[in-house]
Amino acid sequence: MEILLRTKVFIKENSLALLSLFTLTGINILNQLGMGETGAYFWKNILWNFTGLVIFFLILYKFDYRRISLELVWVIYGALLLLMIILALFKKRWLVLGPLSIQPSEFLKIVLLYLISLIVSKKKEFKLSNGEGIFLLLTISIPLIFLFPVDLDYSGIIFLMFFVFLLFLGFPKRLFIFMGIIGLIFLIVLFPLAWNKLKPHQKGRIYGYLDPEKYSKTWGYQINQSLIAIGSGGIVGQGLQKGWSTRLNYLPAKNTDLAFSVWAEAFGLLGATLFLVVYGYLLYWGLNVSRKAKDLLGKSLSLGIVLILLFQLIFNLGGASGLLPMTSIPQPFLSYGGSITISTYLLLSLLFNIAFRKDFFK
Amino acid sequence: MNPKDLCRPKEKWVGKENINQIWDKRLYWAKILLFIVLALLWLRLFYLQVIKHSYYLNKAKARSIASYVIKAPRGEIITADGVVVATNRAIFQLYLDLESLINEEETLKKLSLLLKEDYGLLKEKYYLAKKASFGRVLLKRNLSWDQVARILVRQYYLPGVIVEVEAERYYPYGEAYFHLLGYVARISKEEYEALKDKNYSPEDLIGKKGLEKLYEPYLKGVNGRIETERDAQGRLGKVVGRSDPVAGNDLILTVRHDLQMRAYELLKEKRGAIVALSPQNGAILAWVSAPSIDPNKFIYGFEEGEWEKIVNDPRKPLLNKAIQPYPPGSTYKLITALAGLRAGIIKGLNWTVSCPGYFPFGNHIFRCWERRGHGGVNLIRAIAVSCDVFFYTVGARIDIDLLASVSREFGLGRTSGLGFSDEKAGLVPDKAWKKKRYGSAWSQGETVVVAIGQGYILTTPLQMARAYTIFANGGHLYRPFVVAEVKRKDGSSIFKANPEFEGKVSISAEHLEWLRTGLKEVVESGTGKAAKVPGITVWGKTGTAQVVALQKKTRHLEHHAWFVSYAGNSTPEIVSAVLVEHGGGGGAVAAPIAGELYRAFYKLPSLMKKIPEEKPEETPSELTEGIINGNFTSN
Repeated sequence: MEILLRTKVFIKENSLALLSLFTLTGINILNQLGMGETGAYFWKNILWNFTGLVIFFLILYKFDYRRISLELVWVIYGALLLLMIILALFKKRWLVLGPLSIQPSEFLKIVLLYLISLIVSKKKEFKLSNGEGIFLLLTISIPLIFLFPVDLDYSGIIFLMFFVFLLFLGFPKRLFIFMGIIGLIFLIVLFPLAWNKLKPHQKGRIYGYLDPEKYSKTWGYQINQSLIAIGSGGIVGQGLQKGWSTRLNYLPAKNTDLAFSVWAEAFGLLGATLFLVVYGYLLYWGLNVSRKAKDLLGKSLSLGIVLILLFQLIFNLGGASGLLPMTSIPQPFLSYGGSITISTYLLLSLLFNIAFRKDFFK
Repeated sequence: MNPKDLCRPKEKWVGKENINQIWDKRLYWAKILLFIVLALLWLRLFYLQVIKHSYYLNKAKARSIASYVIKAPRGEIITADGVVVATNRAIFQLYLDLESLINEEETLKKLSLLLKEDYGLLKEKYYLAKKASFGRVLLKRNLSWDQVARILVRQYYLPGVIVEVEAERYYPYGEAYFHLLGYVARISKEEYEALKDKNYSPEDLIGKKGLEKLYEPYLKGVNGRIETERDAQGRLGKVVGRSDPVAGNDLILTVRHDLQMRAYELLKEKRGAIVALSPQNGAILAWVSAPSIDPNKFIYGFEEGEWEKIVNDPRKPLLNKAIQPYPPGSTYKLITALAGLRAGIIKGLNWTVSCPGYFPFGNHIFRCWERRGHGGVNLIRAIAVSCDVFFYTVGARIDIDLLASVSREFGLGRTSGLGFSDEKAGLVPDKAWKKKRYGSAWSQGETVVVAIGQGYILTTPLQMARAYTIFANGGHLYRPFVVAEVKRKDGSSIFKANPEFEGKVSISAEHLEWLRTGLKEVVESGTGKAAKVPGITVWGKTGTAQVVALQKKTRHLEHHAWFVSYAGNSTPEIVSAVLVEHGGGGGAVAAPIAGELYRAFYKLPSLMKKIPEEKPEETPSELTEGIINGNFTSN
């Protein structure tokens, strides 16, 4: 009875957040429908969303985020690291298991998040010593070293999002400044060397970012097509399945990396604003969850979740709209993908779980 | 409360408070970060989707919609007797589409093998065409069936190579109609920029000269268009827009084809012009300028070096000589005569001038072309034998302004209103003009020269033909016209020409009779006997206009031969002006051409082969030294 009552209160207090989540699920399904003729993706996407929601509710009800032990997370971390080493050896980004392709990097985010939060929350304060800072940075970096050769963009973005996370968790200022200086020197010294080492397509991405129109047939093809799709959407959009860029296959990777461009072309600025508002609200609410959480683990976890989802947004939408160089990073609730969908629902289920469980502290 | 909590050290409690405060502060920064990110993204989207919307929409459209122009067939041009003299024919054109062309060099290499053309030449042609064109590049016109077949079966391996069937202008009678019809050629970049809103496509042909230019809006038609969706792989999808072409309108000319062909035949070896008009309404019956050019070459291409040759040809084949100014010579004497009659200088047929072969005026001597002199001549005789002294005498007494005003009544000194942009107005000199042009007063000696059609006076063959319609019809001046009707393809009429009456020259019946008799005598017994056609009456006047050589070197140039005349059974039905540049004497060179023209008009057998090479019966005399810039004689 008590849990029913709590559920009622929880729903009442967090109705907007729940509504946002379901809206985003709806947007995801609608957007994949908008892709047009690729029917298989549409049904698979519904299946992934359904699975994600089942996992979401299971975790929300049957799980307590505090019950996970640090040892278990270390074990998962180790297993994932091993998997990534093996994949790196085979130069593969995905682990293919029959019909499933799993992208370990999506789950690495959750594992790192949990690991860092658990370690920090044990300290009873949000302040890291130099040693702890370096230790955590290494913990983050080691798996990314193996992700680096197969997925340069994502490894960089994951490092960045967790580094920012560490800053919020009280990364020592002096160490940060020291690292910043070292990093800057490295950049100046190594950049010309590294630039020559970059593959043409990686350099091209920079060229394409700097001048999409000039390189519209080569490096800037993706970004140019994305800008045309977004821009031609206008205020109200060209309509579901009606956009030229989407329908006539001008948008490359429309199901995944440039899924936002499909959405913006079909529903225009209104649709894009709706997405930003709902997604933004969810993140804002997440920060409030962090504030209201009664324990450090909950505070840390919920902030981490928000940061992960925020960085996905920054790099996906930033790339698609030409603010940042194009990176192949999926957008939660717009892109198609089993790993991204499941990991997003996992992250959100944790967030809601924290919101739900905070009442238990009363 | 849990007793354990009470035992908790105080600092720890404070510490916990601190943790919450510190964390809230950090969350505050996280919220700011979130808002900044959202705001930046939204502003970027606003910029792309609102401010730059139309820019990107146009880009999307240009990329996703392939638009093909269906060229409207140009209207045909048909003569009064129903002969199509400008038409369209289907030909195969080879285009290169730069957007889907993948490898220029490779494609050109393949094409050179398929077309059996030299690779280097083809490449040169391609780069030249590319420079000049701004849509697809037209690499080769008029492909043979064989070439079409060879390209089409390999089209899959030739991306960007397009063979299209197009209706191209074709002039079945080529050179004969060049100066009347003009020609069409590919639209230039400047013309396209100015006309692109009027349904012109970059590959259109446009009238550049003559009727093709003058009637361009009627002839053009409306291009059709097919808009097809094109996906990223270049595959064409569904048709999203289609408009059918509307064929251009046909022009029905007043020109009689047989007469035109005959006129060209008569003149093609020479240089000059023939204009034939109907005296009843000013309709143009024939219009030839020689030498001529085949207008088809402007569309299908000139041979190597041919164009330079045309441009540098001293005979100026590009020039429409029917509307260029020349001294009218003795053909002008009729106007002098009328002015003299009006002024009362010529008092009647009994008024005679004695011609000793020269005419002293002031301090120098004007010569008659007949050095031995004509003896006593009256008006009719003076016209018939083209006596210079008679008209010098009139010129010595007449006011130049009166002569000029009579000339203007005859339509001289201004363009005819036909509409050709290269038509010249000629020149009718008067006192005011002299003052303005040279700043000096008119001298009567100059009138003496103008009286025989030399000096400053300049007229075009069209003007002279038109002037003689006055004698043919008794005083009515019409605006000449060549298009009788503009018809839609369904046969309905858009425009029908109405003869435009421009003015009446007041000329008494008596005077008219005298002048007509004079003109008739020219052909019967005078200088224009070569124009005589049995069975019909020809009225005419010869002219041998002296070419004022600018340099001594070109002195040897022969004189311009004129014959302006009209013919008919009882009423005149055709007026013509024949001008042969540097042809020699008007009676010997121009008059027989007019005679042949009338034979063609009345469908009488030609005398062409029987015409003997007569010794010129009239020769212009040498210039005498004098104060006026040359003394003139003319016949």
